Amino acid sequence: MTLQRNRIGTWIDRWLYRLAGPEAGEIMLDQRRVFIVPTGAGWGFAAMLTLLFIGSVNYNLNLGFAFTFLIASCAVVDMHLTFRNLAYLHLAPGRAAAVFCGDTALFELQLINRRKHDRYAIWLDFYGHAAAVAQAIDVAASGTSSVTLGVASTVRGWLPAPRVRLVTRFPLGLLRAWSYWQPDLRVLVYPHPEENAPPLPLAASPAAHGVGLAGNDDFAGIRPYRAGDPLQQLAWRQIARIDPALGGMLLTKHFEGGAASELVIDFAALPRAMDLELKLSRMTRWILDAEAGGLAYAFRLGALDLPPAHGPAQQAICLQALAEFA
Amino acid sequence: MKPSSRRLNNPMSRDKTDMLSLLVACLLVLLPHFFHLPLWISAGVVTLLGWRSWITWTGRRLPPRWLLLPIAALAMGGIYLAYRTFLGRDAGVAMLALLLILKLLEMHAKRDLFVVLFLSFFLLLTNFFYSQNIATALMMAIAVLALLTAQLSFQFTGAVPPFKKKLRLAGLIVGLATPLMLVLFLLFPRIQGPLWGMPGDASGARSGLSDSMTPGMISSLALSDEIAFRVRFIDPVPPQASLYWRATVLSSFDGRTWTALPQTPMKAGSVQALPGSTSTRYEVTMEPHGRRWLFALETPLAPPQLSGSSAYLANDFQLLATTRIGSRLRYEVTSWTQSSLQAGGTPDELNDALQRTVGYNPATTDFARRLLAQSSDSAELVGLVLQYFRREPFSYTLEPPLLGRNSVDEFLFSSRAGFCEHYASAFVVLMRELGIPARVVTGYQGGEINPSDGYMEVRQSDAHAWAEVWIEQRGWIRVDPTGAVAPERIQRSVASQSARRLFGGLVTLSPARDSWLAMTRFSWDALSNAWNQRVLNYSPEQQKSLVARLGIDNIDWPVLTALMLAAGSLVMAVMMLPLLMNRIRVNPADKLYATFCRRMARYGITRAAHDGPRTFMAAVTASALLPAPKKVAALRFLDGYEALQYGTVEPRRRSAALSRLHSLLTACR
Repeated sequence: MTLQRNRIGTWIDRWLYRLAGPEAGEIMLDQRRVFIVPTGAGWGFAAMLTLLFIGSVNYNLNLGFAFTFLIASCAVVDMHLTFRNLAYLHLAPGRAAAVFCGDTALFELQLINRRKHDRYAIWLDFYGHAAAVAQAIDVAASGTSSVTLGVASTVRGWLPAPRVRLVTRFPLGLLRAWSYWQPDLRVLVYPHPEENAPPLPLAASPAAHGVGLAGNDDFAGIRPYRAGDPLQQLAWRQIARIDPALGGMLLTKHFEGGAASELVIDFAALPRAMDLELKLSRMTRWILDAEAGGLAYAFRLGALDLPPAHGPAQQAICLQALAEFA
Repeated sequence: MKPSSRRLNNPMSRDKTDMLSLLVACLLVLLPHFFHLPLWISAGVVTLLGWRSWITWTGRRLPPRWLLLPIAALAMGGIYLAYRTFLGRDAGVAMLALLLILKLLEMHAKRDLFVVLFLSFFLLLTNFFYSQNIATALMMAIAVLALLTAQLSFQFTGAVPPFKKKLRLAGLIVGLATPLMLVLFLLFPRIQGPLWGMPGDASGARSGLSDSMTPGMISSLALSDEIAFRVRFIDPVPPQASLYWRATVLSSFDGRTWTALPQTPMKAGSVQALPGSTSTRYEVTMEPHGRRWLFALETPLAPPQLSGSSAYLANDFQLLATTRIGSRLRYEVTSWTQSSLQAGGTPDELNDALQRTVGYNPATTDFARRLLAQSSDSAELVGLVLQYFRREPFSYTLEPPLLGRNSVDEFLFSSRAGFCEHYASAFVVLMRELGIPARVVTGYQGGEINPSDGYMEVRQSDAHAWAEVWIEQRGWIRVDPTGAVAPERIQRSVASQSARRLFGGLVTLSPARDSWLAMTRFSWDALSNAWNQRVLNYSPEQQKSLVARLGIDNIDWPVLTALMLAAGSLVMAVMMLPLLMNRIRVNPADKLYATFCRRMARYGITRAAHDGPRTFMAAVTASALLPAPKKVAALRFLDGYEALQYGTVEPRRRSAALSRLHSLLTACR
């Protein structure tokens, strides 16, 4: 039953809605893709027109006929204007930033109006996502508007943008024009960082000089401040010499050797019996902790074996590997 | 997205303006109804509308249901007390008006907006029960515009354009709808109503002649400037003095009031024209009067063909429709104008015309006896009576003194002041005393040609009463005793007729026929006549003749529907294509460049999307497949294109540069 319905659904998507997978780049909603049906109010309007017509016939009101035909014609014009409000609208995917599993994945969508008329009240939402909140947007003549739609991420990995539904009832609300769009847009969902995770696996490192804290044994000079460096490592004495107002900069004490090589975030080092997702979740937490602490860390996951480093690049590679780990 | 959960009475300024524009639209819809709704309903509607506006303006909450329900119940009770029914036209309109106002006070969700709009559209239609003139049509158009503006105001979600722009959008909708409306109006297969019985009050109380005559009644009409009917003469217009428009014949008199006797259709062949008779053909467009009679000049030849009803000629030359006339009617008649014709009066008819009221007017009986001593010839006696009217100091006045029980005695011998009703009534009573069959005829006398469109206009103020007597060998002949006293009433000069009162006598029009005010009035009357003839009288017959003029005979409704759909589609295509077809204009140089790239691709030189003309130039130069002369042309083309697009080609040289590019493109084909 469900299988059959799915089949019919796919057939409708392919044949009627012309949807066969994500569409790359900018697309245009041509007349073949814009659908239009009366709204509830529209059906009420039709019923009212029937009554007005019957009244005009019964009382032989020639102006009644003129009046009935005038507002019926207004509804026909409304049909064209509603259709025009959506048709020939250009759509382009915008940016989408990676998120941690459980957060809301945000997709930016661009609506480009290449016509000389303003478009009002276009509602966008992700089709089939009941919780998704529709957003209304106007697109000025020869203008561009962008809208960000969110969807909750539940599984790590690549999350493609769901099918976007565009709906408009403008100008009279008697008809509803809609269209679907499957943008070629996806978001990387990192594993959810474990809450209340055990501390960084410093003690677990095999190097055993026995003394000192990880990664700050040997003072190796100073380097410019990088985002994420801990405050206690700032080289206050050097900073104080140059007034930042005169072109000075923040400097960080740089340590090498020692326990720095001891922080290894290694998938294989985690207990064998542990759940896979929990392992990935914990490694995610450790990467975030290490970055927050400004500690260099080595990373081993499957075939990936990264030497100790830290910074946004290292973090991005590691988190992507965790997200994509099969 | 749940629009129904969006509260409309949110105290946001945007919702406020939307609501106020809706309230203004509703006021425009209700305004024409104030002329005929009872005062208490009009006052109630205005009060409640004011209350609603105040609530919107101050951003207060709508009244609770326990407060609205008693108001609604009170209103319903009031309507029942006023009309004694909830059905029918007037009660229905009053109900709709109150319903609309109460709905406005109970409007919470977006769905309620449409209920308000639908009620408003219904109320607009009901306007046409009362009036269908040009002013009503204009008012309707304005109200539709206001309603559409309000309707679309509620549809905005983000930026809200200023009111002017919303009004312009509504204007665009109405403007685009108008041609389609015209096609539908002209070609939609018409059904002749009514589909069911009309409520009794549908045609309403209208002024005009009544079917009985108590001397003193027509005087109220004498001041009315309303048009009773219009006439277009096909034959030459007869002289003023013979324009007697017969409406009804009154033969029964109870001492005070004249009433008509039951009518029987005239037998064929009972009318014969005498040698020398002339006839005239004309077309009458009648305003509805809710009665059965039709207007025609004296002695119509035959009953006219009516659409949707039928008519017959009664034995006293009355034209009667089989149903009451509740809508404007147009028909063509031919009449004998010189009343020189023979009609055989049946004994029954003559008996009715000799009925006397015993016990009334003894002085009149005495007077008749004295006259009979002078002559026994009917024609001579008529002449003697008219002479009496002429000789004695009778006067014509629209404000005669009140008369007592023996009204004819008092009129003939003491007051001697009155107007057509008094003269006709007294004359007929006197004739019957003399033994001459006589009866009263009411109708209209005269009429005025509107110089703007050539139609003769007959107004309520032209209402008249005269007499008919039966004379052996001649039949029924018309005698107008008023003419004996006040010939100017009959042979009125056109100038005196133009001196009409406007605004209930506050303004008296200059008697000069060519004064600007008179001319304006003539033009206005001609315009409303054209409106009546063209728009309001557009019937299934008119529709048929219109389509026949297009060259399609034998029209039936499937053909008409097909024609309507074809014309509608054509009109829609003409209106809508410009809306959809405002394509982006491609720069002509870009167009040439695209063709050029396609040609180069044939030689294996492809351009990546990000390559500029310079990069492409390098690829062209490097190509081994492109023949040398073409390569030269191609490179010059790229050079020219670059100069045109990114260089400094003066605007006036652009077309020359483009044509050069064009020829280079041909060279590297």
